[in-house]
Amino acid sequence: MRELLMVRYGEIYLKGQNRPLFMKLLMKRIREAVAQRDSKVWLSDGRMYVAGFTDMQETIARVTKVFGIHSVCPAVEMDKADFEAVCSQASRMMKDLNGSFKVTARRSDKNYFLDSPQINSRMGEYILNHNPNLTVDVKNPQHTMNVEIREFAYLYVEVIPGAGGMPVGSNGKAALLLSGGIDSPVAGYMIAKRGVELCAVHFYSFPYTGERSKEKVLQLARTLAISSCGMRVHIVPFTKIQMQIHEKCSPEYTTLIMRRFMMRLADRVAQQEGAQALITGESIGQVASQTMDALCCTDVVVSRPVFRPLIGFDKIDIIDYAVKIDTYETSCLPYEDCCTVFTPKHPITHPKLDKTQIAESVLDIEALIEEAMQGIEIIEL
Amino acid sequence: MLVYLDNSATTQPSKAVVNAVASSMREGYYNPSALYAPALAAEQQMSACREAIAGKVNAKQVFFTSGGTEANNLAIFGMLKSLRGFGKVLFSAGEHPSVRETCKQTAKMGFTPEEIPLDQNGLVNLSALETMLDNQVRMICVMQVNNETGAVQPIEEVSKLRNKLCPDAMFHVDGVQGFLRIPMDMVGLQVDSYALSGHKIHAGKGVGALALGGRGRLTPIMFGGGQEKGFRSGTENTPGIAGLRAAIESFPARHEMRKLKLRLYERQKSDIDGLVVNGPPPESASAAPHILNVSFMSVRAETMLHALEGEGIFVGNGSACSSRKKQVSHVLSAMNCGVKQAESAIRFSLSPYTTQAEIDIASDACVRQYELLKNFVRR
Repeated sequence: MRELLMVRYGEIYLKGQNRPLFMKLLMKRIREAVAQRDSKVWLSDGRMYVAGFTDMQETIARVTKVFGIHSVCPAVEMDKADFEAVCSQASRMMKDLNGSFKVTARRSDKNYFLDSPQINSRMGEYILNHNPNLTVDVKNPQHTMNVEIREFAYLYVEVIPGAGGMPVGSNGKAALLLSGGIDSPVAGYMIAKRGVELCAVHFYSFPYTGERSKEKVLQLARTLAISSCGMRVHIVPFTKIQMQIHEKCSPEYTTLIMRRFMMRLADRVAQQEGAQALITGESIGQVASQTMDALCCTDVVVSRPVFRPLIGFDKIDIIDYAVKIDTYETSCLPYEDCCTVFTPKHPITHPKLDKTQIAESVLDIEALIEEAMQGIEIIEL
Repeated sequence: MLVYLDNSATTQPSKAVVNAVASSMREGYYNPSALYAPALAAEQQMSACREAIAGKVNAKQVFFTSGGTEANNLAIFGMLKSLRGFGKVLFSAGEHPSVRETCKQTAKMGFTPEEIPLDQNGLVNLSALETMLDNQVRMICVMQVNNETGAVQPIEEVSKLRNKLCPDAMFHVDGVQGFLRIPMDMVGLQVDSYALSGHKIHAGKGVGALALGGRGRLTPIMFGGGQEKGFRSGTENTPGIAGLRAAIESFPARHEMRKLKLRLYERQKSDIDGLVVNGPPPESASAAPHILNVSFMSVRAETMLHALEGEGIFVGNGSACSSRKKQVSHVLSAMNCGVKQAESAIRFSLSPYTTQAEIDIASDACVRQYELLKNFVRR
């Protein structure tokens, strides 16, 4: 007899001929998540199992964060021949519970000497006899003892929901524009959850922001990297570009022109990284650079699709999501936003593309981009 | 070359301190309360430090603490608890949070905390204080030197007013930024308690002391093994205390901090049109020798700080304890300097070991960075 985790996958189950590929990838991701913890991960009868861990709670916490997993059940695996012993173990697992329960048996070993209804009634009776605090309710039970008769017998009561989504790496790669704010980490998480590998691009404006604000961004990236199986962060020196825009361009266009530079640079980084799309945390109308007109003006400078998973989200919903994925507290640290120098008092909210292009034509765009690309610092997480 | 001008945040432990701490850890690690001979040596080491402190500030008793914050807490809670009845607890609007927040907490004990206003130079407004003093006042807290502006507070005048209008009120002075840099005579000035911290004078972090004058009466706020005559339980930090002693004994009696501070100010002033001093005029007696707080108008403090950092020069913006919070300094607000001025405030704080070469590097860098950054202001 041993304790193990039964891992149930979600959406992959619906896939057709690619399913074995996805399964293999998911196994790899689970192995990475529990790495160096002496755990074994294997596939059997269409189920994934993790065993050999020293700290079950820690392993559960790690496995449930892996994208592609529907749920995790802490289970007991034991010899199925002695049904009395199986019942006794089931009863031990339910000894501290009270309220209503039922037993749900699945029998993939059709040669087993009992069929599912027989297992249900015999085990139910055994449990009932050993725990007077329980009553049977087969329609709406508070607790369910699940029994699976395969090569061994598996028993579990608790079902812990997983992160859902698709295993990272199953859907290509994208470059996330990561600021220190609340939105961009959430956007990155949502896309990573769909199986997309991430790399991050951060624009660094020393001396307007300092080491602490960079460290804050890296802390956010580390939190994301747990779910996205590592990440490479590109720190792009951005001060010179901001200063030139500030010096030479019409104030109302500075924010928009800055956004266009950011998109161009992210596009270049994506090119180097082999990423097929960009991800931003923008939401329609949140600030001047996120109006429909402004978004149209920024999109035209890039060659890749721009994913904006938060586009229809209210701030309050984004905050809820950020709390859920543990990035909110870090995002709220105060080391950012000291670029107010470069934020005009009245940024244009309904820009026209031709006017924007004229406004930025005073800059040597290519030279500035090239210089910034040369100064990139890469941090591997 | 690195230039460290944030000595009011903390100082680099001096060689003498490092040696004393290491030697105490290696050879003098015994519990000073134990009965065998080497423990006695550890206790004597502490006594020597106690005497050194008492000698410097003319105190009657000295108790070691974990630093300035604990010393301030012990003074305020400890003295108020030993009094009968309740009344007003006055604290200057420029006090460090370890005094300010502690005084505010006394409201929960039944006292009435009240803030003493500052004038435009950051000094306690004595005429306002005079109107606040009556026989309801139980305690007055005024710091010796303000940690942000370097304003040297009129301790003697406050003491005289106290003697005249509420002689029974306790007078606590937070001396963390003043100890060894501005003289203190507790008995002569009738200061009842005085807090100091090791790491501001080239000792290590985690050690400080509360000195008591003639009539300071304490009730302990921490309980345990009864160390420090029962006023501060917990095995004494003997390495820290050995370091504190070394710091006091090796603190240069003669130094050029005031001269260098004025040099820094003069060189900046001559080249920077938008320079505003936060605090008393730097050359006046009410400006501490080691702290210069100026606003480089229109350049945010954080930007200037990082720009100087980029040249290897470390300075402070406001008080380091509060720079994790995004708000304007309560000291500068109390002085009625505008938000813009407060947001541009940079604090240079010197040590007796600061050199003229360092001051020249720093002032040149300030001028150079200001010339560059002033062009990039919000439009």
